[in-house]
Amino acid sequence: MSPATAIKRPLRLVDLELDLEVFNGPFDLLLTLILREEIDLLEVDLADVVISYIDYLESRGELDLEAATEFLVLITALLELKSRLMLPGEEIEEIELDPGDAATELIERLLDAHRYRAAAAHLSSLLRDQSGYRFRSAPLPARLRKAALPEATAVYDPSRLAQAIGQMLVLPPEVDVRHIPVPKVTVAERLQLLRKLLRRGSFNFDEAVRDADRVTVAVTLFSLLELYKQGELTWAQDQPFGEIQVTASQSAAAAQPGEWAA
Amino acid sequence: MSLSLAAKIEALLFLSPEPLSADALAGAAEVEIDEVQGALEELAEQYEESGRGLVLRPLAGGWSLSSHPDAEDAARNLFARPRTPALTPAQAETLAIIAYLQPVSRPEIARIRGVNAESAAATLLERGLVEESGRSQFGAVLYRTTDLFLRLFGLESIDELAPISAFDPSPELEEELRERLLRAGEARVAS
Repeated sequence: MSPATAIKRPLRLVDLELDLEVFNGPFDLLLTLILREEIDLLEVDLADVVISYIDYLESRGELDLEAATEFLVLITALLELKSRLMLPGEEIEEIELDPGDAATELIERLLDAHRYRAAAAHLSSLLRDQSGYRFRSAPLPARLRKAALPEATAVYDPSRLAQAIGQMLVLPPEVDVRHIPVPKVTVAERLQLLRKLLRRGSFNFDEAVRDADRVTVAVTLFSLLELYKQGELTWAQDQPFGEIQVTASQSAAAAQPGEWAA
Repeated sequence: MSLSLAAKIEALLFLSPEPLSADALAGAAEVEIDEVQGALEELAEQYEESGRGLVLRPLAGGWSLSSHPDAEDAARNLFARPRTPALTPAQAETLAIIAYLQPVSRPEIARIRGVNAESAAATLLERGLVEESGRSQFGAVLYRTTDLFLRLFGLESIDELAPISAFDPSPELEEELRERLLRAGEARVAS
Protein backbone atom coordinates (compact mmCIF):
# COMPACT_ATOMS: atom_id res chain seq x y z
CA MET A 1 0.00 0.00 0.00
CA SER A 2 1.35 3.40 -0.86
CA PRO A 3 1.54 5.89 2.01
CA ALA A 4 -1.39 8.16 2.62
CA THR A 5 0.53 11.20 1.47
CA ALA A 6 0.48 10.01 -2.13
CA ILE A 7 -3.29 9.90 -2.43
CA LYS A 8 -4.25 12.39 0.19
CA ARG A 9 -6.31 15.28 -1.08
CA PRO A 10 -7.92 17.90 1.07
CA LEU A 11 -11.41 16.75 1.97
CA ARG A 12 -13.84 19.48 2.65
CA LEU A 13 -17.30 18.96 3.91
CA VAL A 14 -19.32 22.02 3.33
CA ASP A 15 -18.45 24.92 5.58
CA LEU A 16 -22.02 26.12 5.84
CA GLU A 17 -23.85 27.75 8.74
CA LEU A 18 -27.54 26.82 8.99
CA ASP A 19 -30.40 28.56 10.75
CA LEU A 20 -33.32 26.11 10.66
CA GLU A 21 -36.40 25.59 12.75
CA VAL A 22 -35.00 22.49 14.46
CA PHE A 23 -31.33 23.21 14.20
CA ASN A 24 -28.88 26.06 14.34
CA GLY A 25 -25.23 25.53 13.47
CA PRO A 26 -22.87 24.19 10.81
CA PHE A 27 -23.93 21.66 8.18
CA ASP A 28 -21.49 18.93 9.21
CA LEU A 29 -22.76 19.16 12.80
CA LEU A 30 -26.31 18.69 11.53
CA LEU A 31 -25.10 15.65 9.62
CA THR A 32 -23.43 14.22 12.71
CA LEU A 33 -26.49 14.81 14.87
CA ILE A 34 -28.72 13.12 12.31
CA LEU A 35 -26.34 10.18 12.13
CA ARG A 36 -26.30 9.90 15.92
CA GLU A 37 -30.10 10.15 15.99
CA GLU A 38 -30.05 13.27 18.10
CA ILE A 39 -32.12 15.03 15.49
CA ASP A 40 -35.01 13.31 13.72
CA LEU A 41 -34.40 13.51 9.99
CA LEU A 42 -38.16 13.76 9.47
CA GLU A 43 -38.17 17.08 11.30
CA VAL A 44 -35.43 18.63 9.20
CA ASP A 45 -36.60 20.76 6.32
CA LEU A 46 -34.01 19.79 3.70
CA ALA A 47 -35.29 22.37 1.24
CA ASP A 48 -34.18 25.05 3.73
CA VAL A 49 -30.74 23.47 3.87
CA VAL A 50 -30.51 23.67 0.08
CA ILE A 51 -31.72 27.27 0.05
CA SER A 52 -29.17 28.19 2.71
CA TYR A 53 -26.50 26.54 0.61
CA ILE A 54 -27.50 28.50 -2.48
CA ASP A 55 -27.48 31.76 -0.46
CA TYR A 56 -24.07 30.81 0.83
CA LEU A 57 -22.77 30.14 -2.68
CA GLU A 58 -24.15 33.48 -3.82
CA SER A 59 -22.49 35.35 -0.98
CA ARG A 60 -19.18 33.64 -1.72
CA GLY A 61 -19.43 34.57 -5.38
CA GLU A 62 -17.31 31.59 -6.46
CA LEU A 63 -18.00 27.91 -6.86
CA ASP A 64 -15.71 25.37 -5.25
CA LEU A 65 -16.58 22.36 -7.41
CA GLU A 66 -15.05 19.82 -5.06
CA ALA A 67 -17.03 21.05 -2.06
CA ALA A 68 -20.19 21.49 -4.13
CA THR A 69 -20.01 17.89 -5.35
CA GLU A 70 -19.58 16.61 -1.82
CA PHE A 71 -22.54 18.68 -0.65
CA LEU A 72 -24.71 17.38 -3.49
CA VAL A 73 -23.84 13.76 -2.82
CA LEU A 74 -24.63 14.17 0.88
CA ILE A 75 -27.86 16.10 0.42
CA THR A 76 -29.19 13.60 -2.15
CA ALA A 77 -28.40 10.76 0.23
CA LEU A 78 -30.24 12.59 3.04
CA LEU A 79 -33.21 13.24 0.75
CA GLU A 80 -33.40 9.60 -0.20
CA LEU A 81 -33.16 8.46 3.42
CA LYS A 82 -35.84 10.93 4.43
CA SER A 83 -38.20 9.95 1.64
CA ARG A 84 -37.78 6.30 2.60
CA LEU A 85 -38.54 7.12 6.23
CA MET A 86 -41.67 8.96 5.18
CA LEU A 87 -43.11 6.03 3.29
CA PRO A 88 -45.24 3.67 5.29
CA GLY A 89 -44.55 -0.06 5.23
CA GLU A 90 -42.84 -2.84 7.09
CA GLU A 91 -39.44 -2.15 5.62
CA ILE A 92 -39.28 0.79 7.97
CA GLU A 93 -38.05 -1.62 10.61
CA GLU A 94 -35.10 -2.55 8.41
CA ILE A 95 -34.16 0.93 7.37
CA GLU A 96 -34.69 2.47 10.77
CA LEU A 97 -32.04 5.16 10.77
CA ASP A 98 -29.34 3.29 12.60
CA PRO A 99 -26.50 5.78 13.00
CA GLY A 100 -23.89 3.26 11.90
CA ASP A 101 -25.84 2.18 8.81
CA ALA A 102 -26.65 5.71 7.79
CA ALA A 103 -23.02 6.69 8.11
CA THR A 104 -22.01 3.62 6.07
CA GLU A 105 -24.50 4.57 3.40
CA LEU A 106 -23.31 8.17 3.25
CA ILE A 107 -19.70 7.05 3.09
CA GLU A 108 -20.53 4.50 0.38
CA ARG A 109 -22.04 7.35 -1.64
CA LEU A 110 -18.97 9.50 -1.25
CA LEU A 111 -16.65 6.58 -2.06
CA ASP A 112 -18.69 5.72 -5.15
CA ALA A 113 -18.48 9.30 -6.31
CA HIS A 114 -14.68 9.21 -5.82
CA ARG A 115 -14.43 5.85 -7.57
CA TYR A 116 -16.28 6.93 -10.69
CA ARG A 117 -14.43 10.22 -10.78
CA ALA A 118 -11.17 8.24 -10.92
CA ALA A 119 -12.62 5.94 -13.61
CA ALA A 120 -13.63 9.05 -15.55
CA ALA A 121 -10.06 10.35 -15.45
CA HIS A 122 -8.87 6.97 -16.71
CA LEU A 123 -11.32 7.06 -19.64
CA SER A 124 -10.26 10.59 -20.52
CA SER A 125 -6.63 9.49 -20.66
CA LEU A 126 -7.54 6.48 -22.83
CA LEU A 127 -9.25 8.85 -25.24
CA ARG A 128 -6.22 11.16 -25.22
CA ASP A 129 -3.88 8.24 -25.99
CA GLN A 130 -5.98 7.33 -29.00
CA SER A 131 -6.01 10.79 -30.52
CA GLY A 132 -3.17 9.97 -32.94
CA TYR A 133 -4.97 7.08 -34.62
CA ARG A 134 -7.09 8.10 -37.59
CA PHE A 135 -9.50 5.84 -39.36
CA ARG A 136 -10.42 5.81 -42.98
CA SER A 137 -13.56 7.75 -43.67
CA ALA A 138 -15.56 8.24 -46.81
CA PRO A 139 -14.20 11.30 -48.60
CA LEU A 140 -16.21 14.51 -48.43
CA PRO A 141 -17.76 15.76 -51.64
CA ALA A 142 -15.21 18.00 -53.39
CA ARG A 143 -17.18 21.18 -52.75
CA LEU A 144 -17.16 20.57 -48.98
CA ARG A 145 -13.46 19.84 -48.68
CA LYS A 146 -11.24 21.90 -46.46
CA ALA A 147 -10.38 25.14 -48.21
CA ALA A 148 -8.10 27.99 -47.15
CA LEU A 149 -9.88 31.31 -46.60
CA PRO A 150 -7.50 33.44 -48.71
CA GLU A 151 -8.17 31.25 -51.73
CA ALA A 152 -11.92 31.57 -51.41
CA THR A 153 -13.74 34.02 -53.62
CA ALA A 154 -16.78 36.01 -52.54
CA VAL A 155 -19.96 34.77 -54.18
CA TYR A 156 -22.68 36.46 -52.18
CA ASP A 157 -23.32 40.10 -51.43
CA PRO A 158 -22.87 40.74 -47.65
CA SER A 159 -26.22 42.55 -47.51
CA ARG A 160 -27.93 39.22 -48.09
CA LEU A 161 -26.55 37.98 -44.80
CA ALA A 162 -27.72 41.14 -43.04
CA GLN A 163 -31.20 40.61 -44.44
CA ALA A 164 -31.34 37.03 -43.26
CA ILE A 165 -30.19 37.91 -39.75
CA GLY A 166 -32.39 41.03 -39.62
CA GLN A 167 -35.46 38.92 -40.10
CA MET A 168 -34.51 36.70 -37.21
CA LEU A 169 -34.24 39.70 -34.91
CA VAL A 170 -37.91 40.65 -35.36
CA LEU A 171 -40.10 39.17 -32.64
CA PRO A 172 -42.91 37.05 -34.05
CA PRO A 173 -46.43 37.92 -32.84
CA GLU A 174 -47.27 36.18 -29.60
CA VAL A 175 -49.49 33.12 -30.04
CA ASP A 176 -52.87 33.45 -28.38
CA VAL A 177 -53.44 30.42 -26.16
CA ARG A 178 -56.45 31.72 -24.25
CA HIS A 179 -58.76 29.21 -25.92
CA ILE A 180 -56.80 26.25 -24.49
CA PRO A 181 -58.28 25.29 -21.12
CA VAL A 182 -55.61 24.69 -18.48
CA PRO A 183 -56.57 21.80 -16.23
CA LYS A 184 -56.11 22.88 -12.65
CA VAL A 185 -56.22 20.69 -9.63
CA THR A 186 -55.13 21.83 -6.21
CA VAL A 187 -53.86 19.91 -3.20
CA ALA A 188 -56.61 21.57 -1.13
CA GLU A 189 -59.32 20.15 -3.40
CA ARG A 190 -57.85 16.68 -3.29
CA LEU A 191 -57.38 16.84 0.48
CA GLN A 192 -61.04 17.65 0.81
CA LEU A 193 -61.98 14.67 -1.34
CA LEU A 194 -59.67 12.33 0.59
CA ARG A 195 -61.02 13.52 3.93
CA LYS A 196 -64.56 12.94 2.67
CA LEU A 197 -63.68 9.37 1.66
CA LEU A 198 -61.90 8.89 4.98
CA ARG A 199 -65.09 9.46 6.92
CA ARG A 200 -66.05 5.96 5.84
CA GLY A 201 -63.12 4.62 7.81
CA SER A 202 -61.24 3.20 4.83
CA PHE A 203 -61.28 3.29 1.06
CA ASN A 204 -59.42 2.08 -1.98
CA PHE A 205 -57.05 4.58 -3.62
CA ASP A 206 -58.51 3.74 -7.04
CA GLU A 207 -61.80 5.20 -5.87
CA ALA A 208 -60.17 8.52 -5.18
CA VAL A 209 -58.68 8.76 -8.68
CA ARG A 210 -61.32 7.11 -10.83
CA ASP A 211 -61.33 8.61 -14.36
CA ALA A 212 -58.73 11.16 -13.28
CA ASP A 213 -55.89 12.36 -15.52
CA ARG A 214 -52.22 11.85 -14.61
CA VAL A 215 -51.78 15.24 -12.98
CA THR A 216 -54.80 14.64 -10.76
CA VAL A 217 -53.49 11.20 -9.77
CA ALA A 218 -50.12 12.72 -8.89
CA VAL A 219 -51.67 15.54 -6.84
CA THR A 220 -53.92 13.04 -5.08
CA LEU A 221 -50.96 10.88 -4.15
CA PHE A 222 -49.17 13.96 -2.87
CA SER A 223 -52.22 14.83 -0.75
CA LEU A 224 -52.24 11.29 0.57
CA LEU A 225 -48.61 11.67 1.65
CA GLU A 226 -49.49 14.95 3.32
CA LEU A 227 -52.31 13.32 5.31
CA TYR A 228 -50.03 10.45 6.20
CA LYS A 229 -47.43 12.90 7.44
CA GLN A 230 -50.07 14.60 9.58
CA GLY A 231 -51.06 11.24 11.01
CA GLU A 232 -54.61 11.22 9.69
CA LEU A 233 -54.32 7.97 7.77
CA THR A 234 -52.23 4.92 7.04
CA TRP A 235 -52.10 2.86 3.89
CA ALA A 236 -51.19 -0.62 2.78
CA GLN A 237 -50.20 -2.10 -0.57
CA ASP A 238 -49.62 -5.84 -0.75
CA GLN A 239 -47.48 -5.84 -3.87
CA PRO A 240 -46.04 -3.36 -6.36
CA PHE A 241 -48.77 -1.99 -8.64
CA GLY A 242 -51.36 -3.67 -6.39
CA GLU A 243 -54.35 -2.00 -4.81
CA ILE A 244 -53.71 0.65 -2.19
CA GLN A 245 -55.98 0.41 0.82
CA VAL A 246 -56.22 3.65 2.79
CA THR A 247 -57.40 3.58 6.41
CA ALA A 248 -58.16 6.42 8.77
CA SER A 249 -55.85 6.30 11.78
CA GLN A 250 -57.36 6.01 15.25
CA SER A 251 -56.56 9.53 16.34
CA ALA A 252 -57.75 11.01 13.05
CA ALA A 253 -61.30 11.53 14.26
CA ALA A 254 -60.13 14.27 16.59
CA ALA A 255 -57.58 15.68 14.17
CA GLN A 256 -57.65 19.39 13.51
CA PRO A 257 -57.67 20.48 9.86
CA GLY A 258 -54.03 21.14 8.92
CA GLU A 259 -52.47 24.00 7.07
CA TRP A 260 -53.67 22.70 3.71
CA ALA A 261 -57.33 22.70 4.64
CA ALA A 262 -59.51 24.47 2.12
CA MET B 1 -5.05 -14.20 -59.06
CA SER B 2 -2.21 -15.19 -56.86
CA LEU B 3 -2.77 -12.84 -53.95
CA SER B 4 -2.24 -14.37 -50.53
CA LEU B 5 -5.14 -14.46 -48.08
CA ALA B 6 -3.39 -11.84 -45.94
CA ALA B 7 -3.15 -9.53 -48.94
CA LYS B 8 -6.83 -9.97 -49.79
CA ILE B 9 -7.79 -9.22 -46.22
CA GLU B 10 -5.58 -6.15 -46.30
CA ALA B 11 -7.53 -4.90 -49.31
CA LEU B 12 -10.86 -5.37 -47.53
CA LEU B 13 -9.62 -3.62 -44.40
CA PHE B 14 -8.36 -0.75 -46.53
CA LEU B 15 -11.82 -0.27 -48.02
CA SER B 16 -13.82 -0.43 -44.81
CA PRO B 17 -14.33 2.60 -42.57
CA GLU B 18 -15.72 0.32 -39.80
CA PRO B 19 -13.89 -2.48 -37.97
CA LEU B 20 -14.43 -5.82 -39.78
CA SER B 21 -15.02 -8.97 -37.76
CA ALA B 22 -12.98 -12.10 -38.54
CA ASP B 23 -16.32 -13.71 -39.27
CA ALA B 24 -17.25 -11.18 -41.96
CA LEU B 25 -13.76 -11.42 -43.50
CA ALA B 26 -13.97 -15.22 -43.60
CA GLY B 27 -17.35 -14.96 -45.35
CA ALA B 28 -16.03 -12.47 -47.91
CA ALA B 29 -12.82 -14.38 -48.64
CA GLU B 30 -14.65 -17.71 -48.57
CA VAL B 31 -12.24 -19.36 -46.16
CA GLU B 32 -12.40 -20.77 -42.63
CA ILE B 33 -12.34 -18.33 -39.75
CA ASP B 34 -9.19 -19.92 -38.29
CA GLU B 35 -7.28 -19.11 -41.46
CA VAL B 36 -8.51 -15.52 -41.35
CA GLN B 37 -7.50 -15.20 -37.71
CA GLY B 38 -4.00 -16.41 -38.55
CA ALA B 39 -3.72 -14.11 -41.55
CA LEU B 40 -4.88 -11.10 -39.49
CA GLU B 41 -2.26 -11.72 -36.82
CA GLU B 42 0.41 -12.21 -39.43
CA LEU B 43 -0.59 -8.98 -41.12
CA ALA B 44 -0.64 -6.99 -37.87
CA GLU B 45 2.84 -8.27 -37.10
CA GLN B 46 4.13 -7.33 -40.54
CA TYR B 47 2.82 -3.80 -40.15
CA GLU B 48 4.48 -3.41 -36.82
CA GLU B 49 7.81 -4.97 -37.67
CA SER B 50 8.40 -3.19 -40.95
CA GLY B 51 7.70 0.27 -39.51
CA ARG B 52 4.71 1.04 -41.70
CA GLY B 53 2.50 4.10 -41.53
CA LEU B 54 -0.55 1.92 -40.84
CA VAL B 55 -1.52 0.09 -37.68
CA LEU B 56 -3.78 -2.99 -37.65
CA ARG B 57 -5.52 -3.58 -34.31
CA PRO B 58 -8.47 -5.55 -32.96
CA LEU B 59 -11.04 -2.91 -31.97
CA ALA B 60 -14.71 -2.98 -31.00
CA GLY B 61 -15.09 -6.67 -31.81
CA GLY B 62 -13.44 -6.42 -35.24
CA TRP B 63 -10.16 -5.48 -36.91
CA SER B 64 -9.41 -2.01 -38.10
CA LEU B 65 -6.67 -0.20 -39.98
CA SER B 66 -5.71 3.23 -38.78
CA SER B 67 -2.89 5.67 -39.35
CA HIS B 68 0.16 5.47 -37.08
CA PRO B 69 0.16 8.09 -34.31
CA ASP B 70 3.64 9.21 -35.38
CA ALA B 71 2.14 10.39 -38.65
CA GLU B 72 -0.33 12.61 -36.81
CA ASP B 73 1.66 15.85 -37.07
CA ALA B 74 1.91 15.48 -40.82
CA ALA B 75 -1.76 14.48 -41.01
CA ARG B 76 -2.77 17.64 -39.16
CA ASN B 77 -0.94 19.78 -41.68
CA LEU B 78 -2.84 18.19 -44.53
CA PHE B 79 -6.28 17.40 -43.07
CA ALA B 80 -8.70 18.88 -40.57
CA ARG B 81 -8.33 17.80 -36.94
CA PRO B 82 -10.29 14.65 -36.15
CA ARG B 83 -13.64 15.45 -34.60
CA THR B 84 -13.05 13.86 -31.20
CA PRO B 85 -12.87 16.70 -28.69
CA ALA B 86 -11.85 15.81 -25.12
CA LEU B 87 -14.66 15.03 -22.69
CA THR B 88 -15.72 17.51 -20.02
CA PRO B 89 -15.43 16.16 -16.45
CA ALA B 90 -19.23 15.76 -16.25
CA GLN B 91 -19.31 13.84 -19.56
CA ALA B 92 -16.38 11.65 -18.52
CA GLU B 93 -18.02 10.79 -15.18
CA THR B 94 -21.33 10.00 -16.83
CA LEU B 95 -19.58 7.88 -19.46
CA ALA B 96 -17.61 6.02 -16.77
CA ILE B 97 -20.78 5.17 -14.87
CA ILE B 98 -22.48 3.97 -18.06
CA ALA B 99 -19.42 1.96 -19.12
CA TYR B 100 -19.17 0.16 -15.79
CA LEU B 101 -22.82 -0.29 -14.85
CA GLN B 102 -24.50 -0.69 -18.23
CA PRO B 103 -27.36 -0.87 -18.83
CA VAL B 104 -27.98 1.96 -16.39
CA SER B 105 -30.67 4.63 -16.15
CA ARG B 106 -30.24 8.37 -15.89
CA PRO B 107 -31.70 8.59 -12.35
CA GLU B 108 -29.16 5.99 -11.25
CA ILE B 109 -26.34 8.01 -12.82
CA ALA B 110 -27.63 11.13 -11.08
CA ARG B 111 -27.79 9.24 -7.78
CA ILE B 112 -24.13 8.27 -8.00
CA ARG B 113 -22.91 11.64 -9.15
CA GLY B 114 -25.19 13.58 -6.81
CA VAL B 115 -26.10 15.87 -9.69
CA ASN B 116 -28.32 15.76 -12.70
CA ALA B 117 -26.79 13.95 -15.69
CA GLU B 118 -29.19 15.18 -18.32
CA SER B 119 -27.02 17.42 -20.44
CA ALA B 120 -23.94 15.20 -20.20
CA ALA B 121 -25.97 12.15 -21.25
CA ALA B 122 -27.49 14.11 -24.14
CA THR B 123 -24.03 15.10 -25.40
CA LEU B 124 -22.74 11.51 -25.13
CA LEU B 125 -25.78 10.33 -27.10
CA GLU B 126 -25.20 12.96 -29.73
CA ARG B 127 -21.53 12.02 -30.06
CA GLY B 128 -22.58 8.40 -30.50
CA LEU B 129 -20.59 7.15 -27.49
CA VAL B 130 -23.70 5.79 -25.74
CA GLU B 131 -27.10 4.64 -26.94
CA GLU B 132 -30.45 3.78 -25.46
CA SER B 133 -30.95 0.19 -24.46
CA GLY B 134 -34.58 -0.38 -23.53
CA ARG B 135 -36.27 0.75 -20.35
CA SER B 136 -36.00 -0.14 -16.68
CA GLN B 137 -38.97 -1.72 -14.91
CA PHE B 138 -39.96 1.78 -13.80
CA GLY B 139 -39.89 3.15 -17.34
CA ALA B 140 -36.59 5.04 -17.18
CA VAL B 141 -34.47 4.92 -20.34
CA LEU B 142 -31.39 2.70 -19.96
CA TYR B 143 -28.04 3.52 -21.54
CA ARG B 144 -25.15 1.42 -22.76
CA THR B 145 -21.91 2.20 -24.59
CA THR B 146 -21.57 1.80 -28.37
CA ASP B 147 -19.02 0.22 -30.71
CA LEU B 148 -17.87 3.74 -31.52
CA PHE B 149 -17.02 4.17 -27.84
CA LEU B 150 -14.84 1.03 -27.95
CA ARG B 151 -13.14 2.18 -31.13
CA LEU B 152 -12.41 5.72 -29.98
CA PHE B 153 -11.09 4.50 -26.64
CA GLY B 154 -8.92 1.82 -28.25
CA LEU B 155 -10.76 -1.12 -26.68
CA GLU B 156 -11.40 -4.50 -28.22
CA SER B 157 -14.35 -5.14 -25.93
CA ILE B 158 -15.85 -3.67 -22.78
CA ASP B 159 -14.18 -6.43 -20.71
CA GLU B 160 -10.86 -4.84 -21.50
CA LEU B 161 -11.62 -1.93 -19.16
CA ALA B 162 -9.82 -2.16 -15.84
CA PRO B 163 -12.22 -3.48 -13.15
CA ILE B 164 -13.93 -0.71 -11.18
CA SER B 165 -12.21 -1.91 -8.01
CA ALA B 166 -9.00 -0.57 -9.54
CA PHE B 167 -10.35 2.89 -8.75
CA ASP B 168 -11.25 2.20 -5.14
CA PRO B 169 -10.29 5.12 -2.96
CA SER B 170 -7.41 4.19 -0.66
CA PRO B 171 -8.23 2.85 2.82
CA GLU B 172 -6.64 6.03 4.21
CA LEU B 173 -9.06 8.19 2.24
CA GLU B 174 -11.99 6.06 3.31
CA GLU B 175 -10.95 6.26 6.96
CA GLU B 176 -10.51 9.99 6.68
CA LEU B 177 -14.00 10.39 5.24
CA ARG B 178 -15.54 8.26 7.95
CA GLU B 179 -13.80 10.13 10.73
CA ARG B 180 -14.65 13.47 9.23
CA LEU B 181 -18.33 12.54 8.98
CA LEU B 182 -18.69 11.26 12.51
CA ARG B 183 -16.26 13.46 14.34
CA ALA B 184 -16.57 16.88 12.77
CA GLY B 185 -19.60 17.64 14.85
CA GLU B 186 -18.39 16.13 18.09
CA ALA B 187 -15.52 18.58 18.32
CA ARG B 188 -17.98 21.41 18.01
CA VAL B 189 -20.35 19.93 20.55
CA ALA B 190 -17.50 19.70 23.03
CA SER B 191 -16.26 23.24 22.56
